[in-house]
Amino acid sequence: MSASPALKDEIKLPGMDLKKIGKDLYEVFIGPQHPGSGHMRIIIRVDGDVIVEADPDLGYVHRTMEKLAEGREFIKVIPLMERMAILDACNITLPYVEAVEKLMDIEPPPRAKYLRVLLCEINRIASHLYGMGIFGVFLGHSTMYMWPFGDREVFVELAEKLTGARLTHTYAVPGGVRRDIPQGFREMAEKAARYMEKKLEDYKRIFLDNPAIQKRLVDVGVISKNLAAKLGIVGPNLRASGIRYDVRIIEPYEAYDEIDFEVPIYEEGDAYARAWIRVMEIKQSLNIIRQVLEKMPQGDPLHEKFWAKAPKLYKTVYETTGRAKLIPLYANLKVPAGRAIARAEAGRGEVIYVVESENKTKPYRVRVVSPSFRNAIVFKYIVPGHRIADLPAIYGSIDYFPPEADR
Amino acid sequence: MTGIIDFIIKLIIWPPLFQLVLLPGLVTALVVVIFIIWFERKTAARVQMRIGPYHISPRLGGFLQLIADLTRYAFQEIIVPRTVDRAVFIGAPLTALVLSVVPVVAMPMTDIPRYFPIPMDYSLIISMGLTTLSPIFIVAAAWASNNKFALIGGMREAFVITAYELIFIISGLSAGLAVLSYNIVDIVEAQAPFYKWILFTNPIAALAMYASILMSTSGFPFEIPEAENEIVAGAFTEYSGLMYGVNMGSAYIKRFVYTLLFSLLFLGGWAPYTPQPGFIAGYLIPAVIVVVKATIVMATISFLRAVYGRLRIDQALDGAWRIFIPIALAGLLLALLEAYMGVYA
Repeated sequence: MSASPALKDEIKLPGMDLKKIGKDLYEVFIGPQHPGSGHMRIIIRVDGDVIVEADPDLGYVHRTMEKLAEGREFIKVIPLMERMAILDACNITLPYVEAVEKLMDIEPPPRAKYLRVLLCEINRIASHLYGMGIFGVFLGHSTMYMWPFGDREVFVELAEKLTGARLTHTYAVPGGVRRDIPQGFREMAEKAARYMEKKLEDYKRIFLDNPAIQKRLVDVGVISKNLAAKLGIVGPNLRASGIRYDVRIIEPYEAYDEIDFEVPIYEEGDAYARAWIRVMEIKQSLNIIRQVLEKMPQGDPLHEKFWAKAPKLYKTVYETTGRAKLIPLYANLKVPAGRAIARAEAGRGEVIYVVESENKTKPYRVRVVSPSFRNAIVFKYIVPGHRIADLPAIYGSIDYFPPEADR
Repeated sequence: MTGIIDFIIKLIIWPPLFQLVLLPGLVTALVVVIFIIWFERKTAARVQMRIGPYHISPRLGGFLQLIADLTRYAFQEIIVPRTVDRAVFIGAPLTALVLSVVPVVAMPMTDIPRYFPIPMDYSLIISMGLTTLSPIFIVAAAWASNNKFALIGGMREAFVITAYELIFIISGLSAGLAVLSYNIVDIVEAQAPFYKWILFTNPIAALAMYASILMSTSGFPFEIPEAENEIVAGAFTEYSGLMYGVNMGSAYIKRFVYTLLFSLLFLGGWAPYTPQPGFIAGYLIPAVIVVVKATIVMATISFLRAVYGRLRIDQALDGAWRIFIPIALAGLLLALLEAYMGVYA
């Protein structure tokens, strides 16, 4: 089956290491051109059907985002960074906006904070639904693939109503948000929340309570509390292992300290717990959306400092239609020199930004640590010992998103 | 000239050829398979909040989409990789396709011996024996592919074969045991009244046979040998174009043949109808009744796709050896009891 010795000599490339693998082991490359891998590769070595070693191999969708950010104006970095996780656009760029605000020493108005939380939670639901859909198809459950993908549309449309864009909203900008809540949004959100609550019951019936699925997930890919802490796992995967760590609780940002919500925790740490935690988080997010719409204070969604420098027409348009155009000031926003760090809880976990400015219109350095990147290491440690068929189950349960990890 | 036409007509109506090629053989199987795939897509779509393929022939509900797909497969390039064992790579799927339809020759579609391909008293055993021929060629095709995923898929197929065949044969034989005959005609005739269908008198054996059909033809939740997200396309990873279509087609034809046997053994065959003399009343109508019953059974198998995920290979084997073989044996015991009490005497 293996290549002839002559061929082996031929493929020696400079800088390419050939790794010897154990006798009787079979090396299988899952990805990057594999229906069950996504834009990454997991190199597994199997003994029969049991995986002995697993190497996650990242970087297939690396887009040099951090370097690209150094050549762009501060406002243009937001649409760039959104490409990391377009379903989670607000969550994934919010810390950047916060870091820039810290450098500029401005605080967004309270209404803007609530609006940001609103979109963050809509994004979180959409992101979880996407993850659950992929999870479903990895287990061969086509209904669980189609349902969340169809229901995600509800929240994508909700986001569109709020921001004008389906996916890459660029909603949070330094100093506030781009536009105010439109008319009829509350009713739409309430309807979406009621619909989603009903659908979550359906998911439970067809997927989570399905005996075939339970057999595949229970006690598969267990991340112990200890291992999770040691590897630095973040997000729902960490909380499914019984560790209570959520940036929204540990270090409340925006309006999260004024909102009453729970963070679901599961002790088991297996794939089944990770499936459940997303469902519970969606429930909490719906709760947050309802509270935000109730508690949201009146006022301007953008900081006065920006209005002061805006042309008069912009203010009139905003006051009559409720829609604000992006104020020209942003095009050449000069951020005072300094270094700021900010973090937020994105759909897949904690995302951290370090922004360094030199009092110019472009950042000197933008460093991102994305949640999927921190979760990727988990494959190396929990996949060995499982069967080949468990790999998609584990991969789906981790909700690993290659574009987010590779940046 | 008339002699040739007579010869052709006689050849077509010659039972072995007619049964193997036209009804319920290859041609019927193809029509049923096209219907089943359409049904599978549409029911899954209905469950999953979609409409399914619709663009081609919207008036027929997208029924012709399958023909379009078939045409696409037919004109796609057939890539034969350099590293494969050419003869086996091409020969094995074709052999499997032919062999998957062969069990039909031993399945009588009527009780009039004139229309039997081969009149025999052991048709149950012969037909079940013939069904065990084709799977080995899938393993051979996987081995010849010289691909890691194909090899894993072939091994899975081999494991599943060893697991389901015993269940299939035990539960099939229990139908014969209850009637005390290995002749399918006797088995069907014993089930003439509706309440005497073996499905009702021996549901345990029927369940075991249904499960073994699911397992043997990669129906959910046993869609393991070609699990897409794990091993690409299993044994068929290296196949493309029409050769891939042949592989898929033989899997569906296999399922059709199994369900034909299932409807003969458990669903009363041509039951409410009694064949009358003449070709149409004596062969065509009972055969169509059996085919319709088999199609309904296939449709239930297709529907399971929308409900279940995929089990792991070890779980499926575990279920086969520890749950379904005891169930099949219990069905055999029940059949023995019924034979002793003379339910079908």
